[in-house]
Amino acid sequence: MSKNIDLEQEGIQVRKSACYFCHQNCGVLAYVKDGKVLDIEGDPDFPTNQGGLCCRGNIAMDHLDHPARVNYPLKRVGERGAGEWQEISWDQALTEIAAKLDKIRDEFGAEAVATAGGTQRTDDWARRRFMNLFGSPNGFHNSHLCWIPTFMVETAIYGWCPFDLDLGSSRCLVLWGQNPGVAGMPEMHHIMELKEKGLKLIVIDPRYTETAAKADMWLPIRPGSDLALALAWLHVIIYEGLFDPEFTDEWCVGFGELAEHVADFSPEWAEPLTWLSADKIRESAIMYASNKPGNIQWGTSIDQIGKPAGAAMHARALLRAITGNLDVPGSDLLTGPSLEYITDEEMEANDQLPEEQKAKQIGSDKFKMVSWPGYSRIAELTKEVWGKAPTAEWMCEAHPPSVFRAILTEKPYPVKALLVSATNPINSYGETKLTLEALKAVDFMVTCEYWLTPTAMLSDYVLPIAGALERPTITSSYGCADFLLASERAIQPMYERRNDYNFWRDLGVKLGQKEMWPWETVEDAYFAKIEPLGYGVESYDEFVENHRFHFPEREYQKYKRIGFATPSRKVELYSSTLEALGYPPLPPYIGPSENEVDDPEIAAEYPLILTTGGGHMPYHHSEHFQIKTLRFLSHEPYMSINPATAAKLSINEGDWVWIETKRGRIKQKANLTQAIDPRVIFTPRGWWYPERDMRDPELGGCLESNTNILTSCDDDDCDPMSGAWANRGLLCKVYKVTPENEKEAK
Amino acid sequence: MARYAMVMDTRRCIGCHSCTVACRVHNDLPLDMIYNPVVTVGPTGVFPNVHMAHLPLICMHCDNSPCVDACPTGASQQRPDGIVFVEEKKCISCKACVMACPYGARVPNHEKGTIQKCDFCKDRVDVGKLPHCVKTCHQKARIFGDMEDETSEVYKLVNSGHPVRLLGELNTEPYVFYIVDSEVKL
Amino acid sequence: MSQKHDVWGWMLAVDFFFAGMGGGMLVIVGLLDLFVGEGRTSLLGNLLAPVFIGMGSALLILELGRPFQALRVFVNPKAILTAGAWFMSFAITFGLVYASFGFDMFFWSKWVLARQILAVLCLVTGLVVATYPGILLGRHKGRPFWHGPGIMILFLLSSLVTGAAAHSLCGFFYPPSTLSDVLGNLPKLTAGLLAVQLLLWFGYIWVKKSGGTTAEAIATQRWIKGDISSSFQFGFLLFGTLVPLVLSLFSSQGAQAAGAALVLLGGVLMRMLVVRGGEDRTWLPGEQKYRSRLPKGDEVFLKAWNK
Repeated sequence: MSKNIDLEQEGIQVRKSACYFCHQNCGVLAYVKDGKVLDIEGDPDFPTNQGGLCCRGNIAMDHLDHPARVNYPLKRVGERGAGEWQEISWDQALTEIAAKLDKIRDEFGAEAVATAGGTQRTDDWARRRFMNLFGSPNGFHNSHLCWIPTFMVETAIYGWCPFDLDLGSSRCLVLWGQNPGVAGMPEMHHIMELKEKGLKLIVIDPRYTETAAKADMWLPIRPGSDLALALAWLHVIIYEGLFDPEFTDEWCVGFGELAEHVADFSPEWAEPLTWLSADKIRESAIMYASNKPGNIQWGTSIDQIGKPAGAAMHARALLRAITGNLDVPGSDLLTGPSLEYITDEEMEANDQLPEEQKAKQIGSDKFKMVSWPGYSRIAELTKEVWGKAPTAEWMCEAHPPSVFRAILTEKPYPVKALLVSATNPINSYGETKLTLEALKAVDFMVTCEYWLTPTAMLSDYVLPIAGALERPTITSSYGCADFLLASERAIQPMYERRNDYNFWRDLGVKLGQKEMWPWETVEDAYFAKIEPLGYGVESYDEFVENHRFHFPEREYQKYKRIGFATPSRKVELYSSTLEALGYPPLPPYIGPSENEVDDPEIAAEYPLILTTGGGHMPYHHSEHFQIKTLRFLSHEPYMSINPATAAKLSINEGDWVWIETKRGRIKQKANLTQAIDPRVIFTPRGWWYPERDMRDPELGGCLESNTNILTSCDDDDCDPMSGAWANRGLLCKVYKVTPENEKEAK
Repeated sequence: MARYAMVMDTRRCIGCHSCTVACRVHNDLPLDMIYNPVVTVGPTGVFPNVHMAHLPLICMHCDNSPCVDACPTGASQQRPDGIVFVEEKKCISCKACVMACPYGARVPNHEKGTIQKCDFCKDRVDVGKLPHCVKTCHQKARIFGDMEDETSEVYKLVNSGHPVRLLGELNTEPYVFYIVDSEVKL
Repeated sequence: MSQKHDVWGWMLAVDFFFAGMGGGMLVIVGLLDLFVGEGRTSLLGNLLAPVFIGMGSALLILELGRPFQALRVFVNPKAILTAGAWFMSFAITFGLVYASFGFDMFFWSKWVLARQILAVLCLVTGLVVATYPGILLGRHKGRPFWHGPGIMILFLLSSLVTGAAAHSLCGFFYPPSTLSDVLGNLPKLTAGLLAVQLLLWFGYIWVKKSGGTTAEAIATQRWIKGDISSSFQFGFLLFGTLVPLVLSLFSSQGAQAAGAALVLLGGVLMRMLVVRGGEDRTWLPGEQKYRSRLPKGDEVFLKAWNK
């Protein structure tokens, strides 16, 4: 793309598309001529980004027609992982895949087929629809790491997740384990605008991140100890009398029990666990509770701390309730599901999955919150009160590590097929070695992808999927928001790519599901969803062209009209839903999955505290490492280590170092920085080397610097409520890479 | 006559490199050429009392530019509105300007054998549009405008006394100004 | 990819050497002709002076990104490089014409006034050519090691001493037409200039290190204890200045010739080191870390996925 494109030339169409390189879905104007995209730019009229476009959005053209894109359906002809393919037609691929799945269903039951997803980019309701009609309950994403456990725990307590922050009149915002300075550009802009007008910003993060640098107060918490902080905040707010007495009296159940429960969780108690001074803990709690209305922005960090995750979410959720920062102007709003358009859940055909199949969902016996036991209980309540349920694809899933183990051990029963779409599990799922073993062992694997990732390389079929400019996009927070933003496709899919929606539909049609798929194109399906809004449009594209988004009238304190969607119709500080599922009704204290207090033997060998993940520009998870203009700006992985610690380990700036946990080790370069505690190590996620050989065993370098080698999916390390595995607050050691130790097998 | 200037509000800048990439993409730059790096000052201090700021660097389009007079071929020119640019066909890549610029704003194009640099997207500016780096910034950390226009945001910001010039002591009189938090030492 | 590509390199240093030496030779030729008498310098030296300047120009042209467009350097009168190009061109011309007066085959070889006018022209243009690189470098506000009036003097000095050394060597190979004390005194002149050179360099380093800005101090540290220091201290100060100083004081022609050769090598080395010293720019905070993390050019991904 050169700067000399005349955007006013004849024949140019301007399409109101979206970027889909992260969840913000910034509006993008695509300049199209003769079916080709000539240029793109941020849409100045789009409410979230207002013309802005981040470094990822800017390379959309590079991504669209990158030489390494998969453009034709591929069938494996050599050994698994050898990278020998035959180009075939979609029809042949779908016929063969359908036949194979049918056979597996006959022999092992529909539950022997599982699907793996990543972080949206796809019409996940279509995926769920297919699986429901097929009869399998075993669909999953890495939802357990990404907001979903938080959503379900908060919904158990107050009937929906209050993820819609009414920041305009807010006085205090707590960013708890969230870094919008890297991960949410429009959000960060909004926050900074309000900060300039006086909004107080508290950032809770072990690292001095881009966002922490703008905070009024930064709490450098020990990774994984968020539960202790939340319990201490509850203690301070209650015992300093900063709670909202009317709201807790009239609208909360279990305040007395909660007060008693947190009596011992003082800031002094929390100090050695969080590494924050008691004064700081007290000060920050008071800042949140006395600057009302205030918000606590959910961040995915708490979803990733493993064992204490559920209790931490629970404790954090209670903070909003006792301060009355719930559904009032300027606070966190319970939007409830939209009653104005067809939600994702309504498109999933959940009623088509028989009860006995639901009961077979792997992991649901142990981890109930984001699987059928918890979901059906909660969905029933939300349907009663709001009228609709949260999206099942995401909120009601099989437990990925348990599915991988089922592939390997055939317990509780064999899983014989894995349909992968929009994820490279080798890179993005926890405990890479377990994931890799399972992917290599599974009998049948199909991958829908943009690229020939290592997972695709291990597959039997690879199907080319169309990206953001080649698809329409509806943004509605996993189907759980009451608003939506709509974008149209810029062009039809290039080469032989198809929209993932069509993959599921066509596969379903081959398997006899035809009457349940009346919408031929994505636009048809989307039109069905938005038609009830009553804008009087004849097509989805017309809605996009003329309206683009729908924001309903805001109604505050809806609970006064309908109550909270809980059994008591009040906020259940003491949660009867959690109790009924066999979980503690009040959040107990649980230490991080691996920590020096509970596991001194591990700490003796692995003395440093590890936190992993953390977004970093210009990437998003494991994406864009093939986009050279981005890769040039950050071409090697850097872990963060405090200079004092590095000096003790004789590590200099830029040295390659090993970071090792009980699960394995990776190497990254050392970035010596004061932005992190001397006792803490940070490794960013996503690192692989797609320029290397993608075949087994090199696998595009997915085993060299990928932080998921270090994380743990052991049942004991997972959150007992949701099964969220442990990515953060682990124990590790760090040492320099030398020619000798490089050869050791670990 | 206009005099274009840019103000970088480092209180808003989060170091996301979007401006760097937008510039590279829209100018179709070879891989190794960067007109406008975003560098990070710090974190300075000792954990946890640390500070950090991001500095978006760019050609300063100086009033007293060392680079225009350094050019033996006359390729390096400055418009009346202050925009400094290179007339490619006259450039022989002697690198006098590269050596002369204290800000490192000039970048050799090894494929073409010429020197290139930021030109404030003059072709866009001439038709009333904003430079790509300004437009793409989500944080609105880059403000562009005409210093001769007293109603413009840049005029107001620069005359509020807050913004500083980088390497001001060298008297190049740059027309890119920086708003920096008092705690950050440049 | 790496920084080396994006700054002036060894070719420019060698260009400065040849041009400076040629300029210095022209100055000596001019001065001797006007104030002592004609034919005091070797004809070889007279001829080589403009040739050296020409070699310098050739290197300068090769250093360009687009050498075939080299004539454009003459265009901008405000640029020092343009002035330098013009003066080098004049110096080459005048130098060649002056040298031609030493060949009887030319009908003008006995025209004294013309020769003397040319001697003046050689002197002036030679002086400019010998000095202007130093002025060019000294004006670089953004290059802390170079910035200031000092480097101009060091370059002029080096041009004169390498010019003297070159004339000495030429005199050994092809003695001047008028035998006199000049040739015998050139080594003493060389020794004197070398002594000044040694002193001024110590002074320059000291002032830059402790009497200037932080950027200057950091840039200068490379010369005291860093990647430039051993070449500078052993190569230039010791073998390029002190040793030839001593050798030039011996009466043996062999010692003097060896000394002269070392002076020339020292001159090349000095300019290479100075050009390297110019790699240090007035870095902005955080900038070096950013640039040091960029790819060097040999990374595998750079060549991957080409259409």
